[in-house]
Amino acid sequence: MPSASLVFQSIVLGVLLGGLYALLAAGLTLYFGVMRVVMIAHSAFLILAAYLAWYAHRETGVDPLLTLLVTVPLFFVAGVAMQRLLLTRLRPATLTMMSVLLTFSVALVIEGLLGYAFSGTQRRIRLGYSSASLEFFGARVAVVKLIAFGLAAAALLGLYLLMRHSRFGQALRATIQHREAAALVGIDTDRIAGYGFGLGLATAAVGGTALSLDTTIYPSLHWHWIGPLMAIIVVGGLGSVPGAAIAAMTLGLTQSLLQLELSTTWAQTVFYVALFATLAVRPQGFFGGRLAQRF
Amino acid sequence: MPRDSERPRHTGRLLRLGALLAGIAVALSFPSMAPSPYELTVGIAILNFAVLSTSWNFVGGFTGYISLGHGAFAGLGAYATGLLVTKGELPSFVALFVSAALVAVLAIPVGYAALRVRGASFVIVSIALVLIMLLVFQSWASFTGGSRGLVVPRPFPGKLRSEHHEIFYFLFLGLLALALLAWWIIDRSRFGMGLKAIREDEDKAQSLGTPTYTYKLVVFVVSAAFTALAGGLYGLWFGDLDPVFQFSILSGAYMVLMALLGGVRHLYGPLLGAVVVGYGLEYSKLEYGDTPLHLVFAGLLLGVVVMFMPDGVIPAVTGLVARVLGTGETSIREVTAAELRDERDEREADVRPDHRPDGKRPDGKREVRQ
Repeated sequence: MPSASLVFQSIVLGVLLGGLYALLAAGLTLYFGVMRVVMIAHSAFLILAAYLAWYAHRETGVDPLLTLLVTVPLFFVAGVAMQRLLLTRLRPATLTMMSVLLTFSVALVIEGLLGYAFSGTQRRIRLGYSSASLEFFGARVAVVKLIAFGLAAAALLGLYLLMRHSRFGQALRATIQHREAAALVGIDTDRIAGYGFGLGLATAAVGGTALSLDTTIYPSLHWHWIGPLMAIIVVGGLGSVPGAAIAAMTLGLTQSLLQLELSTTWAQTVFYVALFATLAVRPQGFFGGRLAQRF
Repeated sequence: MPRDSERPRHTGRLLRLGALLAGIAVALSFPSMAPSPYELTVGIAILNFAVLSTSWNFVGGFTGYISLGHGAFAGLGAYATGLLVTKGELPSFVALFVSAALVAVLAIPVGYAALRVRGASFVIVSIALVLIMLLVFQSWASFTGGSRGLVVPRPFPGKLRSEHHEIFYFLFLGLLALALLAWWIIDRSRFGMGLKAIREDEDKAQSLGTPTYTYKLVVFVVSAAFTALAGGLYGLWFGDLDPVFQFSILSGAYMVLMALLGGVRHLYGPLLGAVVVGYGLEYSKLEYGDTPLHLVFAGLLLGVVVMFMPDGVIPAVTGLVARVLGTGETSIREVTAAELRDERDEREADVRPDHRPDGKRPDGKREVRQ
């Protein structure tokens, strides 16, 4: 039986990890909401952002956090472009299936180009504060993990405020809830859907920068992220942002606690166990509403 | 009219039969024509791809459910065969069929979870399956050999390497024929009709009484079994299994790419796609070695196929030929809605003169038909 302080440490780390999962799952939920698209390339963009942060740091020595100023707008534009130029051109009847393949092919291209440009070598950012850590009721937590969590939490809060309290957020939620009805009250749903996609991709930029602070990155790392993220959105219920956030926290915490007893790889299977259990018991997910029923 | 339309159909059938016989002749004589064992191994690799993507097409082509995780079934088939031979000491080909049966049994709970919901969740489960298997087979090193790999003993220890390749070429060819035959039979059966109804409109199929869930599950299991056979045969041929390659998401993606490129609604679609993509893969491996760029090419090709010809090459080409020859048929009768209504009105007026033709009773309520 591990000691109480070790358990507490795991809980803290689990919450920190869950925060990052929650942000990324929120992005996936946005894509699904506006377009009914399962975006396989989400985690590839995540790794791309991490590589951009690493590259900027290596070349110029700037703090990786500063790359956010470039990557967030860049990814937003890329998201809008991807929605307008690629996804809207697919046939509506087979959109869900074909969009999976299309985003999958985007993920392959990103992985291949990253491998070509930076080779398959594992990379890591070394910062002045990389090894610093804080004592926190007996748990030692690396400062970079706290920064990553803070970044994810701030981005999620910003997303929440934007969705709840701005006219754009209202239009976006209306588009998610019922596209035709939203169009009938005068919302330009195509434009809003594009922006929604851009916002989703912007979460990958934030997440990738946070990830680059304390993780070793390599081109095929995105496969290790997409599985857990997919599991989270299914468990939470496709299309439900609070569901995704709760599922992300719960599963992140479980994974972290399981690592006390099992190896890292076995602990990761918790996501897939949860995925299969959810589909067998409650296929629409635990927080999914009407939307999730048919997908 | 009938005489005109029967003649092209007749010659079409003859042409198709001729092409089929020519294809079989080429396939059978390939080992004796191949200039070196290397070409033979390329042929085997292409046949392996063809069996895999035809097996994938049982689910993808009939029901329209796209699985990115069929690589997991192939890998499981290969590993199960290898483990049954090394640990269970079964004869190689008994192990092959036992492993296919085991994978089919495993596919039942997977399909049960994956097919309860439509579309998106199915794809997610299929991807998750590959990732789980990769985790399990890498971590459980004491049983599976882990990243060090698993060596499968050769089924014919006394043979030379080239004879070994030749035998496996014909084994893969036989398996391909079996898979194509099964697909052809399902395609013409009532079962296949139900599956295709699911592809076109699952709600309507269900409301017309098609047992959609059972049908999907059955075809999923059949597909998994064929995929496992192909994977197991590959394991026996190649003799060395590594979880990274056996449970790669990429191998599942290649199956999808090949089937889509050729045309998922056609018997020979996946085979054609496998010849094109498989040859391209082997060629680029020979010319450029293993660079990450093959991911870029595969991704771009998949993207182009999905964007511009989601029905594949075969429909695109036959459509073009039909347009040039002017033999194109439309499945939709060219009748306007107004003509149809008149026709129906006439018929109803004949049968039941006391009812108004639009189906309304004089008191304005809609008539309910029993």
